[in-house]
Amino acid sequence: MFPGSEAALMDEGLATLPEVPAEDPLTPLIQRILGGELDAFEDLVAQTEARVLALVWRMLGDRHLAEDAAQETYLRVFRSLHTFRLGECFEAWLVRIAMNVCRDLARKRGPLPVPLDAMETLPSDPAPMDAEETTLWNQRRSLVQRALASLPQAERAALVLRDLEGLSTEEVARLLGVRPVTIRSQAASARAKIQAFCARLLQPHGVRP
Amino acid sequence: MTPHVLPQLPLWVDGDLDAASLAAVEHHLVQCPDCREAAESLRASQNLLREAMVPPFGVSDRERLRRQVMAQVRAETPAKPVRRLLPRAALLAACAASLLLTVFLWRRNPAVIVQHPAAVPNTPRHPQQPPPAVAVRQDSPLHHTLGSLAPLREAPPPLGPARIEFQTADPTIRIIWLAQSKPLSDTTPPSEEKS
Repeated sequence: MFPGSEAALMDEGLATLPEVPAEDPLTPLIQRILGGELDAFEDLVAQTEARVLALVWRMLGDRHLAEDAAQETYLRVFRSLHTFRLGECFEAWLVRIAMNVCRDLARKRGPLPVPLDAMETLPSDPAPMDAEETTLWNQRRSLVQRALASLPQAERAALVLRDLEGLSTEEVARLLGVRPVTIRSQAASARAKIQAFCARLLQPHGVRP
Repeated sequence: MTPHVLPQLPLWVDGDLDAASLAAVEHHLVQCPDCREAAESLRASQNLLREAMVPPFGVSDRERLRRQVMAQVRAETPAKPVRRLLPRAALLAACAASLLLTVFLWRRNPAVIVQHPAAVPNTPRHPQQPPPAVAVRQDSPLHHTLGSLAPLREAPPPLGPARIEFQTADPTIRIIWLAQSKPLSDTTPPSEEKS
């Protein structure tokens, strides 16, 4: 699943996480939750749910599975929040738990299917498109999702965290428990495969969904 | 012209090259149209990837997730202390009770083993074996009070074969157990122990 990083992914909280910035707005929320305030946990979910949903959807490639994964992630967070060390980066801890959940769900589910939600429209399109443009866009989107789904899990994780989630190579390496050079290599391999996949299928004479 | 940089392009496209390699790649791209085209293609696929992987979740999806999470969290919260604390408390209580019971029984029942040197003959196979220690017999309190099977504790350290006796409720029946490292067929069965 994640070669060389199984132990790190299993041991949530054992590896060193990035230090939390001094002005991290989540720290007071965590302290309130640890003090027994459930409403604070709802606030915590509200502040982080968009990122968690995006991450698990990109990792799993399926909308309904992603919603299950996000729910499971927050339940694990709630159950093990007392093990979180204040002073570390909460979002890094959250992302690590979400990646563990994705790994568990992917293991149960088996190989990644072709994304079923490839033809979904975006919630807010940046610019109005006519029907033909929308169809072309959805087909391209479907192709890219298929290309991402075809990657090995380790390369997919490196690409999602590095290029889509915007983490640095060092942060991704710390999260996955591998060396930065491994992340560079996996991300580069994934980028080359995505490019080859897109170049092969997005020919000038048309798109084959 | 410098060597082609196609292998470095996937690292170059997202800034994963060190300064020296980055300068070399960009210098080559100015000169080489083939590598430049590959670089543009790679950059376009990265842009396409980012556009295509915009998550499809809206506000209503996030609110639904939050509701589901909070419903489960609230359902778990009252059960938490019971699940977590009760087993720990029960485990501690059981450990303490076991310890107290062991100490109590140990002090109430100083059972010992009885060794009979006469009942364990010296065999010719072990001529240098030292004679067995002198047997010391103590009656167990349970033996008198209950008249039941009274376990006898082994005295340290037995030099020869150990002999453990249990007096049953019937005064005419006594169970004798000989424990030794060699086969029992080498020893004479102590038939005189029936009283």
